[in-house]
Amino acid sequence: MSELKRTLLYQAHVDAGATMVDFGGWDMPVQYPTGIIAEHLFTRQYCSLFDVSHMGRLFVSGPQRLEFLQHVLTSDASALEVGKAQYSMIPAEDGSAVDDAYLYRIEEEKFMLVINAGNIDKDKAHLLPIAEGFDVKVEDMSGCTGSIAVQGPTSKAMLAGLEGGEAINGMKRNDILHFCLEGHEIMISRTGYTGEPLSFETFARNDDIVWLWNRLLELGAKPAGLGARDTLRMEASMPLYGHEMGVDAEGKLMPIFAVFLAKFAVSFNEAKGDFIGKAALAKQHEAFTKILEGDYSLIADLPRRIQPVALLDRGVLRGGMPVYKDGKQVGWVTSGTMIPYHVLEGEGADIKFTGETGKRAIGAAYMDSDIVAGDKIEIDVRGRKLAAMVTKTHLKNNKPPYAIPVICK
Amino acid sequence: MNFPAELKYTKDHEWVLIDGDVAVVGISDFAQDALGDLVFVNLPEVGDEVNAGEAFGDVESVKAVSDINSPVSGTVCAVNEAAADSPESLNSDPYGTWLIKVENFTEADDLMDAEAYKAFCEAEA
Repeated sequence: MSELKRTLLYQAHVDAGATMVDFGGWDMPVQYPTGIIAEHLFTRQYCSLFDVSHMGRLFVSGPQRLEFLQHVLTSDASALEVGKAQYSMIPAEDGSAVDDAYLYRIEEEKFMLVINAGNIDKDKAHLLPIAEGFDVKVEDMSGCTGSIAVQGPTSKAMLAGLEGGEAINGMKRNDILHFCLEGHEIMISRTGYTGEPLSFETFARNDDIVWLWNRLLELGAKPAGLGARDTLRMEASMPLYGHEMGVDAEGKLMPIFAVFLAKFAVSFNEAKGDFIGKAALAKQHEAFTKILEGDYSLIADLPRRIQPVALLDRGVLRGGMPVYKDGKQVGWVTSGTMIPYHVLEGEGADIKFTGETGKRAIGAAYMDSDIVAGDKIEIDVRGRKLAAMVTKTHLKNNKPPYAIPVICK
Repeated sequence: MNFPAELKYTKDHEWVLIDGDVAVVGISDFAQDALGDLVFVNLPEVGDEVNAGEAFGDVESVKAVSDINSPVSGTVCAVNEAAADSPESLNSDPYGTWLIKVENFTEADDLMDAEAYKAFCEAEA
């Protein structure tokens, strides 16, 4: 067995008593002694720190950086101003995803592409030969920088309160700025993978990232592991490669437009021109647009889509469980577990935490595209067909500072 | 880690308390610690037969499902609905939260006493 890689924060995790696991070749914290449920709930009420240094970070520069990115990504990189980020996909020619990615324009002449840890080798094997056809430099900076996701209602005040952090207050979703916080060089973006309305991701070199971790713990943030990261992203219906992208339960590649967020990740702008998979994606997009209008005439071009599902009977959803409607199998669960939530009172700025918590069996399923939110379905939970329903969302997060659970009954 | 002396244990980390004519079954402190936050418990019904060494139910953590194997063979005469309603009590009080009671039972022949089980856990950890 080859040695597991360690992030710059490895010692901090061990010192905090974390349970460490092999995640894509990295020795990563899956949870701390408080446990996944407590970490999930803390994130939704206060602020958690996630070590995401294991994510792949490719820096793209050189005269043809833009032409290269336009060719290998689905988004319109030319629309990105300096200091902005966009969600994107790395498409294959058939319109499936090699990976999903976040593209940041960190300098006038430099982009940062953040990719999944488990896909770094695969993505590089896909991207680097293509890069040879362009006057472009693609550097893998994954190992020599660190990254912390700072997520939750108190994250903004915490970061903005650091000396040099005032500009945090003016940041909008997908902004990325360079900061010097109490003498430490740190790049901060307003992005995240928890569904929190207030969420930031930070990028820095060695000592600076360790400093930030410890400084934010001093200010009251708590560490959260990969377990809570997964339950939080599931509650926010955010896709994860290998579950909602890549191959399905039958071993077939899923189309990019099966994921709703593809709507924001794929551009057919004139400025973008041709790109890998464009023809296949254009067909999917046409079907996607009609399906959302309730017109299923092009359903053959996008037979199944990922939608949030909630179990109504007692049980727990897991990826791979078959889904039925009117007795006929219509797909599979892609992700699911039992997810905790805070019982809240009031609305808007008057929201109060009652101190009570609940839990719900929710997830996402890859199902026939003519199934819509509100439909009753059945899910085979290890031999028992249990009642479930399709829903629009598990979480409302358009009104900061709190993400509000949407409970199906 | 707690290993009450009055209990017997299986290699799969269940405990059993022989209480007269009834065997009371649960999961050990080691088991709950290894499984993490428990969020769901599937239990059999009263009247079901259980077999020593075979699964009679399962517990689910946020991340995974694990079978619970029976330390005894016999007939289920009671099921702890409170454990099913609040699986987190298996984390906070694993020896106070029984899962099933079994009557007309015979014990598995490889149950361990507390001392042997403690040594077994130390070797496994």
